[in-house]
Amino acid sequence: MASPDSATLPAKPAGTPHLVLEGLGKHYGGVAAVESLDLSVQQGEFIALLGPSGCGKTTTLRMIAGLVDATAGRIVVGANDITYLPPYRRDFGLVFQNYALFPHMTVDQNVAFGLEMRRVPRDEVRRRVGQALELVRLADYGARRPRELSGGQQQRVALARALVIRPSILLLDEPLSNLDAKLREEMRTEIQDIQRRLGITTIFVTHDQIEALSMCDRVAVMQAGRLVQLGTPFDIYERPRNPFIADFVGRTNTLRGKVKASGSVEVGPLTMSAAESPGRGEAVLVMIRPHRITIRAPRSSEVDAQLNVVAGRVTRTMYVGDILQYDVDIGPSILHVEQPTAAGPQPFGRGDDVQLEWSARDTLVFRGGP
Amino acid sequence: MTAAAQAIVRIGESPRTPVSIALLLLLPITLVDAVGFLAPIAYLLRMSFNEATGGGGLRETFTGQSYVAFLTDPFYLGLVGNSVAMSLLITGLTLLASYPIALFIYRAPAHWKSVLTIVCISPLLVSAVVRTYGWMLILGDQGLINATLRGLGIVSQPLRLINNATGVVIGLTEILMPYMILALLAGFGRLDRSYEEAAQSLGAPPFTTFRRVIVPLTVPGVALGCLLCFVLAISSFITPKLLGGGRVFLLATEIYDQAIVILNWPLAATMSIIVLMVFGLALVVYGRIVRALD
Repeated sequence: MASPDSATLPAKPAGTPHLVLEGLGKHYGGVAAVESLDLSVQQGEFIALLGPSGCGKTTTLRMIAGLVDATAGRIVVGANDITYLPPYRRDFGLVFQNYALFPHMTVDQNVAFGLEMRRVPRDEVRRRVGQALELVRLADYGARRPRELSGGQQQRVALARALVIRPSILLLDEPLSNLDAKLREEMRTEIQDIQRRLGITTIFVTHDQIEALSMCDRVAVMQAGRLVQLGTPFDIYERPRNPFIADFVGRTNTLRGKVKASGSVEVGPLTMSAAESPGRGEAVLVMIRPHRITIRAPRSSEVDAQLNVVAGRVTRTMYVGDILQYDVDIGPSILHVEQPTAAGPQPFGRGDDVQLEWSARDTLVFRGGP
Repeated sequence: MTAAAQAIVRIGESPRTPVSIALLLLLPITLVDAVGFLAPIAYLLRMSFNEATGGGGLRETFTGQSYVAFLTDPFYLGLVGNSVAMSLLITGLTLLASYPIALFIYRAPAHWKSVLTIVCISPLLVSAVVRTYGWMLILGDQGLINATLRGLGIVSQPLRLINNATGVVIGLTEILMPYMILALLAGFGRLDRSYEEAAQSLGAPPFTTFRRVIVPLTVPGVALGCLLCFVLAISSFITPKLLGGGRVFLLATEIYDQAIVILNWPLAATMSIIVLMVFGLALVVYGRIVRALD
């Protein structure tokens, strides 16, 4: 796993913001789906709205698209306030979760639709439809009907249809969630390539942290209608702002403890060192990612303030091919531990005494808990 | 294992049995249809080749005389044209009146959908005769509409809304609307909000979205509803009889007159066969439309 020092942060594109959301809100009756959301997206930036279902990410995207009216705040593109502009005047490309290809039209007709609305001359329509289908590697599929295509192909047609109008902003609403795992991985790279190549400002709504982290320049994590953290994938994963984000973005062990001294937390009878901690005496949640813990046979280690060393006993071993998952009883709690598999040593078995080690930097401490 | 269970297993072993069970299950309705539908039509066909003698007499024979009489008489040919034209008009008006309602119901939240559907088809609980009398009260010279218009001083003479084609068209349009709404709702299955949203995001204003996306996606429902209403309109008898006041001549009313008043059964049977042929033609057109969609 990359250490913070070696990881390069994706460069944030400089320049004036392209899309700005100011205090954007959507209330249904008394219920807030989205509340005072501020977000500034740079020209050409690929940004993810990440969160569990019901967090307001799709509502936010639909407000940007103009399909849902905002009840508070403003949406600004360049110098124009577009909060109340109807969707058909916004010039954004939109890709839906279910693709929404017109079933009564061929692939060509689907892709040409947006150009016809713009009264583009016929020859140019034909040329640009061809280019767009080539971009998504479906040049020979123009005469087919959407229902004759596989899910992944439909998805690419939807992408071509959204891109052919040369939209100022591309909006993707969970475009990969209806695809199977293998295809999803392929499409991740493909969408990312196309986005980079065209340099189009893109907002990508997803509940899948892997998609968000792997594809996007920045990730906006949403929780209960609010934006709770905005940062690079590295920031979000390594420096989550609260336990919810730590838990939602990647898996984690959660322990309850109390701050003993700065950088030192008591968890039951154990003491763990952490890079950062709240003030002395505070009740805290301690979170450690399973794959950041090293498991080894008991041995005497040198005392290192930056290294947590805890003895435990294996209660369960699961071999998942590329990784080994262990449950290790450390007294106050059971820790999940993940190790990459290797052909060499025999994995630990149930009942084995082991020693767990992890860095203080990998011990995330959050205020909260009893 | 019980005897019944063994019997089922034995039936299951024979490759032919599923077919025989299907035939067995189809038998009752086949019998009912044969006796109640096919036999009368065969009888009707036979009757149309009989000869009418004066004064309601009937001679068993085999002559095309009634067909010749029908096809050479401009009055009867006019009846066909009239009936088809008026039925098409009524179908078109029913479609125009029902489409927005059906679209509204289709888009309503789930719990409102069933309530609204029931409200729309509730007129079917009242017989067409009663509803026709209702229309006579509304459309008559002293009726609701004329009384209101005169009360407001908009017209001095009552509008002729009854005992003419206008009355028949108004009455039948309303009477057929529940059927049209049901057929449209059944045919709206392909419609989905996301298609409209996709069209709008691609730059289509609302009316263009309606014309290019909503209408094409609802063609199956429209075709079904139009077929149903056309057939019901051309075969309707009570409403044209009452609202037409004997001044609107259509195939259905003429068949009644020939069969009951003039007692020329062969001619009445001939006209019935002609109506059946019009139905057949409508079915062919419908089939073409549905196939063109696939």
